[in-house]
Amino acid sequence: MNVTSAIFFLGCIPAVLVYWRLPGRFRTLWLFVLSLGFLLTWSWELAGILLVVATVNFFLGRWLERADVRRRVLLWIGIGFNLLVLVGLKYSSFFAPALVSLLGRAGIATRTGSLQFLVAVGASFIVLQMISYLVDVYHRILAPADRWLDFALFVVYFPKLLSGPIERARRLLPEFKQPKPLDALGAERSFWLIVVGLVRKIFLADTLTMLIPADIFSHPQAHSGQETLLYLVVYAFAIYNDFAGYTAIVRGVSGFFGIELSSNFDLPYFARNFSEFWTRWHISLSSWLRDYIYYPLSRGLLRKIKDHEHGINLVLPPLVTMLTSGLWHGIGWNFLVWGGLYGVYLIVERVTLLRGPRRLPDEWPRWRQSLSTLGIFTLVTLAWIPFHMQLPVAWQYFLRIFSPSAWIGLPLTTRGATLSAQVGVKSGLPDLRVFLVLLLALGLDWAQLRHKDETFLARWPVWGRASFLATLAILFVLLSFAETGVPFVYQGF
Amino acid sequence: MSNRPASGKPLLTVLGRAAAIFIVLVIGLEAIARTPWVEKALPLRSVGEYQYQFEMKWFRLQEYVKVHGGVDVIILGSSLVNTGVDPEVIVQTYSNETGVDLRVFNFGVEGLTVAPNSVLARILVARYHPALLIFVTEMRDYAANNGLGTETAFLGNPWLRYQGGGFNLTGWVVDHSAALQEYLPYRNWVRSDFFTQLSTYQRQSSETNASGYEPDHRIGQGVDLPPDPDNPVDAFNFQAFRNYQISLTRLLALENVLALGKDGKTAVMVVEMPVSPTAFAFFGGEAVHAQFQQVIASVVQTSGGLFVPWNACSYIPLDGRSDRWHLNQKGAPVFSACLGEQLVIQSLQPASIIHGLGEAGAK
Repeated sequence: MNVTSAIFFLGCIPAVLVYWRLPGRFRTLWLFVLSLGFLLTWSWELAGILLVVATVNFFLGRWLERADVRRRVLLWIGIGFNLLVLVGLKYSSFFAPALVSLLGRAGIATRTGSLQFLVAVGASFIVLQMISYLVDVYHRILAPADRWLDFALFVVYFPKLLSGPIERARRLLPEFKQPKPLDALGAERSFWLIVVGLVRKIFLADTLTMLIPADIFSHPQAHSGQETLLYLVVYAFAIYNDFAGYTAIVRGVSGFFGIELSSNFDLPYFARNFSEFWTRWHISLSSWLRDYIYYPLSRGLLRKIKDHEHGINLVLPPLVTMLTSGLWHGIGWNFLVWGGLYGVYLIVERVTLLRGPRRLPDEWPRWRQSLSTLGIFTLVTLAWIPFHMQLPVAWQYFLRIFSPSAWIGLPLTTRGATLSAQVGVKSGLPDLRVFLVLLLALGLDWAQLRHKDETFLARWPVWGRASFLATLAILFVLLSFAETGVPFVYQGF
Repeated sequence: MSNRPASGKPLLTVLGRAAAIFIVLVIGLEAIARTPWVEKALPLRSVGEYQYQFEMKWFRLQEYVKVHGGVDVIILGSSLVNTGVDPEVIVQTYSNETGVDLRVFNFGVEGLTVAPNSVLARILVARYHPALLIFVTEMRDYAANNGLGTETAFLGNPWLRYQGGGFNLTGWVVDHSAALQEYLPYRNWVRSDFFTQLSTYQRQSSETNASGYEPDHRIGQGVDLPPDPDNPVDAFNFQAFRNYQISLTRLLALENVLALGKDGKTAVMVVEMPVSPTAFAFFGGEAVHAQFQQVIASVVQTSGGLFVPWNACSYIPLDGRSDRWHLNQKGAPVFSACLGEQLVIQSLQPASIIHGLGEAGAK
């Protein structure tokens, strides 16, 4: 079941009503049943594997708390187990048939496809949450969960199951125990989060994705330089709105249960430097990487090399952190290059900062802020090339953008050319649909920036909101007939 | 960022008003869509089927019935029928022989094998009560895996399921909303290939005549020569149809088509398409084809239908084919004339053909 499907939302209404009718002590159980039900819409094998993961980590947490000696060994066993699960699932296509055959011999019928679903259903997200739980228990920042049910719910909680946010147990477990009462304002905020999420996902991300020519990311040489650049920008906005839209939807849904999930995006394309970008993009992942890779590594290095400005202290922490981020997204050279690129961006930024006076971006003059935003957006967009394509194609794509001969004498877009042929307008026109949707995407971010509120729509007059919703509903119906279902991009990681 | 929206207006008030505006907008759009001006400005219609040709035929048949007061003969099949059967030639031939003017419509749709056609046949017979249903078929229709994707996509459409008696909200809304039917041809406006797709629709729409025939202007090269395994197209066909076997599921679908004739109001005729004889090589040669004919003839006979085998209309001029399977604008009239003659030869005398005329008509 997808979180943008009508059946999901229709199912959520009675689920919320029952939840708030139940005595407090049964609410966790109800959420667990709901999450299990949601999981079963994917596959029962998936539910089984996740419950095993939850049980192993639950007991490891408790042993970690009780153990006086060999705690570190226990921690590494836990981390190793979770990494093994992650790597195993990433390669599940390789050994799933063997597992299926093994289960078959035990009389349990299953399909390889359903086992591979776990990768699609946020295995990477779940594993990071498990590791941070064990590390926090190890450092005694967090007391281990005292009830298996609470912890199992932390693992399988359905709004965050598919693609996060990557929650910390220390934040979420108390929320399960004491959810915020749902008042009118909370409900309204949750509702508008869902609306904004749907706008981002369905009207912006899906539309932009469908407007991208099918072969441009596999055969860039068949397209002009202008096209490759334009559709790279389109991809940048598509992936952002896709993931930000998903996060807003699940946060909204969770809000109706009185459980606040972390925010994952804060207008990342308005960032004025890379450090700021990573506090605005996939925040739950970047803060996880900061807390469990960057800081420990920095502290460890500083113990050995006291000089903050020493090359190793400047280079290693950001590089290792970003390479880890790359590997988390996928096991492939292209993801390593993507991570490495960000590592280099961050290193160059840190070195540059050493040379001048340290001022926060907010203190910069307006022109510098605008120029920096543009520069950061350009470099972030270029980094999407290796993220989205295998390296040989990525290189061709890169060359296509920067080769003047690919630009000269070609129509701006083939879609424009086709349009020209159809409606008889002057050839060489760009595909106006792309610009229109990009403009809407920018407009939404701009409005959010101005109002400093992601649910700014809730501030509109009642009739304005009602008209907006009615129009949106009609557009939603119309768009639902388009012959493509675009899955959430981050569901694949 | 603030955590609370500024307004404390109850959400239900907003939702209530949104619902009211939604209803007003829907009624307004529906009213506008039904005005003659909009109907003229947006001539394309769609019910959301992935196969636009089907939708075009569906609405064109409605028009045809409106103009002629009914339809006597509906011809079903794949693209081979779409470009290979000209109803006007059948009407002319039959009229010359019997003096009776038939009302014939070509409902051939690209990619539709026997299974989707059996569903379509049931819907069309229930709606238009034709006196005769001609199902034009060939060997590929009975290969188990041929056209499976098309079949699934075609039959999965909510509107089609609704037409077939499976009530669903989407199907009902699409069937009753003029606004949606006028919007749906443009439903893929967000896709990069939208304009190419639209131009195909427009071309098909303008080239298909009022009785559903779309002439094919191409002339196939080398269709009289044996297939060449080194040629990619031929190699594909060799691969797809080697070890050819008639699928039981497909035969059941054929029986479903034939069962429509059991009420005595609609006769069913199964016609084998005169594909190029060189095409039989893909299935293993003439012997396999003969076996195929035997099976089909026996199924048709058992069900009380009429079978016109390949041999009956196999003469097609050399430049009458656009490839080994399809007829072009030169071949189609030849085959159509032969079909018209078959209507007479197969004892479908005027009285039996026109006995259903009184009932024929749009629902």
